[in-house]
Amino acid sequence: MSAVDFLWRNLPNFLLGFPGQRPGGLLLSLWLAAIAITLGFIIAVWVGSLGASRWWILRRLAAAYVAIFRGLPLLLLLLVIHQVVGGKRTGLDFSPMTSSLVALTLYTSAYQAEVIRAGLMAVPIELVETARSMGSGSWRVFLRVRLRYALRLMLPALINEMITLFKDSSVLLILGVGELMTVARASLGSSVHNSVYWLPTYLFVGVLYALVALGISRLAAHWERKRQPAGLIRHLGLQL
Amino acid sequence: MTTDWLTPDTRDLLVAGVKVTLALTVITSVLAFALALFICRLRLSAVAFWRGVAATYIELCRNIPALVWVIFFAYALPNAFDLDTRRMLFFRNGVMEFLRQETGVLIPYYLIGAVLGLTLNTSAYLVELLRAGIGTLKQEHLESARTLGATPNAAFQRLLMPHGIRAAAPGIMTRLVHNMKNTALASFVAVPEFFKAVQTSISRSFYAIELLVLASVVYWILTWGFAVLLRRVLPQPRSASWMVR
Repeated sequence: MSAVDFLWRNLPNFLLGFPGQRPGGLLLSLWLAAIAITLGFIIAVWVGSLGASRWWILRRLAAAYVAIFRGLPLLLLLLVIHQVVGGKRTGLDFSPMTSSLVALTLYTSAYQAEVIRAGLMAVPIELVETARSMGSGSWRVFLRVRLRYALRLMLPALINEMITLFKDSSVLLILGVGELMTVARASLGSSVHNSVYWLPTYLFVGVLYALVALGISRLAAHWERKRQPAGLIRHLGLQL
Repeated sequence: MTTDWLTPDTRDLLVAGVKVTLALTVITSVLAFALALFICRLRLSAVAFWRGVAATYIELCRNIPALVWVIFFAYALPNAFDLDTRRMLFFRNGVMEFLRQETGVLIPYYLIGAVLGLTLNTSAYLVELLRAGIGTLKQEHLESARTLGATPNAAFQRLLMPHGIRAAAPGIMTRLVHNMKNTALASFVAVPEFFKAVQTSISRSFYAIELLVLASVVYWILTWGFAVLLRRVLPQPRSASWMVR
């Protein structure tokens, strides 16, 4: 069997997971990343706004949260969630899928919180003052002025973070939840005869990841251009 | 210090793991930084071909996950050859022999594969950071340098590169710390670094909770220490507008 045949035969597995099992492969990678990003975003808005708070104790708390979940490799965070927090001893007994979701969510929430905090700090004070002087309450100012402006400003960074998380989901191989990387590894099996397929398989999986990541970033760039936000970072188009 | 879960054996294993993690971090960071400067020069070249090469390199290395790169270089690439060719190409050749004699220890090919994968991945991110940093340079500065007769290479080395590094220092620092955390990925290809040592200790002693908490603390200390070190080593942005934090 040639390498192309091998890839062709396994293509449905790479994309949708093995038949007869729950959906996996690229679909599961995307699904896990999407849920983790959404949940992480909700946490990140809270933590990020605490980080940009007026009171130092709240800022400290937010900084500690970020330091905890950003200071660990995702790989270790996964094991800590799976075996320590969600282990048998605490009675939680997480399934690999739950552990992956929790770990990915916490991991991305710390990164997103930093992005949102930076965005909130970059909101011009005049804007906030104007809104306040027009009689808006502090919640209203936060939601309708500061957060809105910050998110608009930080949209490229947030999209970057989404792509990164999608790629980082490859690390779930260690728990074997059946996403793209696990499927790739499993399709190769442990047979020596499959060793010639290692190179094409990983090349193919790599390209698959790259295509999705590139696709998301192109889509985002297109969308951004259409909406024309404040173009903050402009490359000069330097040429030597 | 000896408790029932931290036996001398385990301790030695973990300490050796920390050393490998530190070595991996330093080697990949330095290599990635050097590679990033080179690719950045290509990316800013006046020749469209070199710009294209650099852009392709960046997109490929950035958009393929680091784990795929590591496994690709360490396992997939040697597997593409038959046994004898593989042995000659990856395990018993002049380079491996040289490394063995220079360092005094037998360096497995998997370690080199992991270094390659991590370096490629990190360098692509660093190029983009450097380019963004260089982009903050005022056009007039470059023009005056060119007017004063600086060749493209001189302008890059004496003006764009230092400015880019300085302006992008916070981002570079974050990325290199991220690279340190990424060295845990080398555990997938049997490199005996800290995370692998933790896993081995767990499967030997079953003290998962204690060892994982210890591992977390060690990683926090390592990443924090590395960040402090980088803040000293890297030139920091000068103007106050860069001090966003």
